[in-house]
Amino acid sequence: MKKQNVLVVGAGLAGMKAALLLANAGVTVYLLEKESLIGGQTIKFEEVYPNMECATCMVSPIQQDVLQNKNIELFLLSELESVEGETGRFKVKISKKARYVSLVNCIGCDACYEPCPVNLDNEFEENLSKKKAISVPCAGALPNVPNIDPENCLRLNGKKKECKACQEACVFDAIDFTEKDETLDLEVGAILVATGFDLFDIETLPQFGYGKFPNVYSAMEFERLYAQNGPTEGELILRKDGDLKSIGIIHCVGRKEQGYCSGVCCMYSAKFAHFLKHKIHEAKIYEFYTDLCIPGKSHQSFYEETRQKGVDFIHNETIRVESQKDRLQITYRDGNGSDSVVPMDMVILSPAMIPGKGTEQLAKTLGINLDKHGFFNTQNERLSPVSTEREGIFVIGCAEGPKDIPDSVLQAEAAVGKILASFR
Amino acid sequence: MNGQIGVYICECGPNIKDRIDIDKVIEDISSLGDVKTVKRFPLLCSNDGKKFLEEEIKKEDLSHLVVAACSPREHEKTFMDVCEQADFNPYLFQLINIREHCAWMISDKNEATAKAIKYIRAGIRRVALHRPLEKKEIESIPDVLVIGGGVSGLEASLSLAGKDRRVYLVEKTGSLGGMAKKLSQLLPNQGSNLSLIDEKVEQVHNNENILVSTSSTVGDVRGFLGNFEIVIHTDGETSGFRKAQVGAIVVATGFDVFDPEENSQYGYGIDNVFTAQEFEEQIKSGNVLLKSGKPPESVAIIHCVGRKERGYCSKVCCCYSIKFAHYLKDNLSNVNVSELYVDLCLPHKSDQEYFEEAKKKGVHFVRSEEEINVNQKGDQIEVEYHSEGKTDSIVVDMVVLAPAMIPSGDTPELAHLLNIPLDKSGFFKEIHEVLDPISTPIEGIYIAGCATGPKNIPESIVQSQAASGKILSSLIPGEKIVPEVKVSEIREEFCTGCQTCLSVCFYGAIRFDSFKGISVVNEAICRGCGSCVGSCPSGAIRSKHFTYPQLYREILEALR
Ligand SMILES: Cc1cc2nc3c(=O)[nH]c(=O)nc-3n(C[C@H](O)[C@H](O)[C@H](O)COP(=O)(O)OP(=O)(O)OC[C@H]3O[C@@H](n4cnc5c(N)ncnc54)[C@H](O)[C@@H]3O)c2cc1C
Ligand SMILES: Cc1cc2nc3c(=O)[nH]c(=O)nc-3n(C[C@H](O)[C@H](O)[C@H](O)COP(=O)(O)OP(=O)(O)OC[C@H]3O[C@@H](n4cnc5c(N)ncnc54)[C@H](O)[C@@H]3O)c2cc1C
Ligand code: SF4
Ligand code: SF4
Ligand code: SF4
Ligand code: SF4
Repeated sequence: MKKQNVLVVGAGLAGMKAALLLANAGVTVYLLEKESLIGGQTIKFEEVYPNMECATCMVSPIQQDVLQNKNIELFLLSELESVEGETGRFKVKISKKARYVSLVNCIGCDACYEPCPVNLDNEFEENLSKKKAISVPCAGALPNVPNIDPENCLRLNGKKKECKACQEACVFDAIDFTEKDETLDLEVGAILVATGFDLFDIETLPQFGYGKFPNVYSAMEFERLYAQNGPTEGELILRKDGDLKSIGIIHCVGRKEQGYCSGVCCMYSAKFAHFLKHKIHEAKIYEFYTDLCIPGKSHQSFYEETRQKGVDFIHNETIRVESQKDRLQITYRDGNGSDSVVPMDMVILSPAMIPGKGTEQLAKTLGINLDKHGFFNTQNERLSPVSTEREGIFVIGCAEGPKDIPDSVLQAEAAVGKILASFR
Repeated sequence: MNGQIGVYICECGPNIKDRIDIDKVIEDISSLGDVKTVKRFPLLCSNDGKKFLEEEIKKEDLSHLVVAACSPREHEKTFMDVCEQADFNPYLFQLINIREHCAWMISDKNEATAKAIKYIRAGIRRVALHRPLEKKEIESIPDVLVIGGGVSGLEASLSLAGKDRRVYLVEKTGSLGGMAKKLSQLLPNQGSNLSLIDEKVEQVHNNENILVSTSSTVGDVRGFLGNFEIVIHTDGETSGFRKAQVGAIVVATGFDVFDPEENSQYGYGIDNVFTAQEFEEQIKSGNVLLKSGKPPESVAIIHCVGRKERGYCSKVCCCYSIKFAHYLKDNLSNVNVSELYVDLCLPHKSDQEYFEEAKKKGVHFVRSEEEINVNQKGDQIEVEYHSEGKTDSIVVDMVVLAPAMIPSGDTPELAHLLNIPLDKSGFFKEIHEVLDPISTPIEGIYIAGCATGPKNIPESIVQSQAASGKILSSLIPGEKIVPEVKVSEIREEFCTGCQTCLSVCFYGAIRFDSFKGISVVNEAICRGCGSCVGSCPSGAIRSKHFTYPQLYREILEALR
């Protein structure tokens, strides 16, 4: 098989790394992303374990490289419609939603946001902030070009057809209300699936009090809360104001229900504790775990360092969160069966990583199978961990199952290895 | 100097235009010597803007180009591309950031204008000293050396070898397969069946593009990406050495295991205390027996042997220990199996289910937080453990120890030979643990499998395929390699041969020429980081695009 074009679905870290490596080999890459920006989950982080490097500094050069690479054609707000044919000659159909803002003309000056009369919850920011009907999801989004949400834009949803406040504010002639959704046909030799993960819905487990007590947060909410580029610019402003004397981080939320360990939550929970100890020296930080899963050669020393900073790691069999007067409290049972109670001001829940929304549909479109947990199935038992049973289709990163960034990157590079090896 | 410097100021819509008095900037700059022309344009990064710049470069016959606009992060590449388009050396161009650094930072227009003028003046001074830098192209050899013939080495060889690429596979022992060949079986989610490993060994032997040298080691390595010269030493019957040239190297030398004799608490040496590898052999031979020749009625499997001593979790031992428990429960009737663990490390999506199945079969999982002591007790063995502050013990017929995975014995010598670093646990160190886990500071040398740290077979295979991905993407048969342009050079006349720079260069780009008594930068390896420049006590090293005069002139002008 000679050199062919490749389709990458999902522009998280795994998808971006794969696209860049393929592009470097001179392969034309179609990179498909359902959101208006690239980067996936990692752009929400402040720091990355185990070396606590700045996440933005790590990821944004990669995003820039993707945007500037001549061999990568990016399709944003796009999804896969259908796949026909076989390895070496897949015919794929892509549906691309209108952005209403030109990627060429817009320079990202943000003059158009302010005049827009529509205020919306910002899901990207875990609803911790508001956004306009025309906006980028967060500061530093790449590409730094807003899109218009057609369901909420007064002009596009017909509630106020004459509104053009944003267009009037834009001196770059970047806004085009007439842009239409499109379908595109492409031919590719191979397909890489890099659609990532979602998080377990913690509201379904009432014992953790999420949704009921304001100061119970999910891990992703906490990532945004402590991120410098987040809605509070890194200040720990809680939903319910108060002193932060005692903070509890609960591991394995949803592990029993899902039936697997996500392999990264122990480490990112330690990352949170690390940050909290640094930020509020006097606060007591507790980590409530069932088993510490800290595999890999440098993870244990990170854990030990965190413990030395005075973070309490407590093994528990069962645990629940309740309110006690003005505060929260955690009740846990240890290995001997005895119960203890600790008062809390804030609780962070580390939920299981689960298959991304739409995985089932995508598997049907691609004609590949899911495993019993709902992640894409690979040929692991044939010792071919990134290949699927359909030749020419590969799965990488968290789409294959929970994993951390290095393992996601490795799978991306491995799939590129498989593809390039088949091109000769 | 008789410069012909062109200065172009981008209005960036209202972004720069409204907050900086561009006319005033033009007035000020125009008076400078060497400046041929100063112009403004609404949006230089637009297609119109790029065309305008390209025409200007040609029309004005510029010697140097300064663009005052936004951050280099945003558009340096854009304008360098314009230079190339105009047949103008892109290193004669300098981008000055007057948007993020001036317009967006300072609300007072006069102040912002003054700062922009300083910046642009400094840039003009600097750019006047820029010299054209040329891209070099180097021929490269597509062939690859793979060191180590375990699963990792096998996989790397198979995915790299092809009609246009030869692989030299060097294995220290007499046969291929590494640790995987010695296992009794794999985990169920890995297909259990070991025949897959045998198949890979056979495929390697049958592949005419893979040259296998067993009982061999690598004797010498010199060179750089695309052009390494290697020497392979072979012992035994066919003893001798072979010289070859390769473009890249994959290090897949695997691991060893912690020696439980190092710590007497594990009881190794007592009858019927075995290591995991010994136990794998027993299962493989189908005879799990006590010294007395009888099958055991009770077995304790002890996790994390050597974890405390080594300071890390080996990631695979919990799972293979559960594999042992399954085997015992399935093959010996009424055997009592206990797993003594610290924390269960089950990081893959099917691990937990495997554990739960073992529990259903009646395997006891006992959590033991602290020290374990293994002692003889009559014909049997007593295992003492500590849990939740209490001490307890069990008495069993047989004990299996799951030892930590440690770096393989040759790792330090090989690291020295290849000039690549080790991490604090003694495994090969990746250039970036998170973003680039199989690359080393030496371009063209990759590390894969357990040579980089403990992992299971699928993870080892992924690393090898990843190394192949990197090599196939960068070392393309028939294509030349283009190394970094902005490199450093050592000026012979100033170098005293102190060799300070050799220890500073992370990428191993500097070599000592003992004949001349000076250090020399290999421009094919240098990445232009500049570390050596600052380290040289004689000031002999110059970074080609960041010379001292360029920096001084720039700073002096900015501070004026
Ligand atoms: C709270 C938290 C903290 C973490 N901290 C760390 C850490 O410190 N260090 C570390 O190594 N790891 C950390 N991780 C793990 C890390 O987030 C993942 O390893 C990484 O994000 C995986 O990258 P990915 O590209 O596979 O998936 P994602 O980041 O999820 O990216 C997937 C991309 O695909 C897109 N997509 C999804 N479906 C479709 C579709 N149908 N069509 C088109 N596009 C689609 C998504 O929009 C997204 O852009 C953390 C995880 C969590 C939950
Ligand atoms: C008891 C036990 C049970 C296990 N069970 C499982 C399991 O069920 N499933 C699973 O997935 N994983 C299991 N593993 C892990 C598995 O063995 C490793 O993941 C795998 O062997 C790693 O392969 P590798 O090629 O990286 O290293 P290795 O298998 O160690 O191979 C390295 C090779 O390099 C050679 N070599 C070393 N130094 C040099 C040198 N200087 N020059 C040339 N050659 C050299 C060695 O001789 C060897 O052949 C188990 C490990 C142990 C200890
Ligand atoms: S048209 Fe009006 S409502 Fe719609 S995005 Fe623009 S300003 Fe907002
Ligand atoms: S659409 Fe126009 S106003 Fe809005 S950010 Fe882009 S360039 Fe600025
Ligand atoms: S994998 Fe299990 S047995 Fe091995 S070191 Fe980690 S926790 Fe201990
Ligand atoms: S500039 Fe950096 S890479 Fe180049 S020789 Fe000096 S220290 Fe080495």
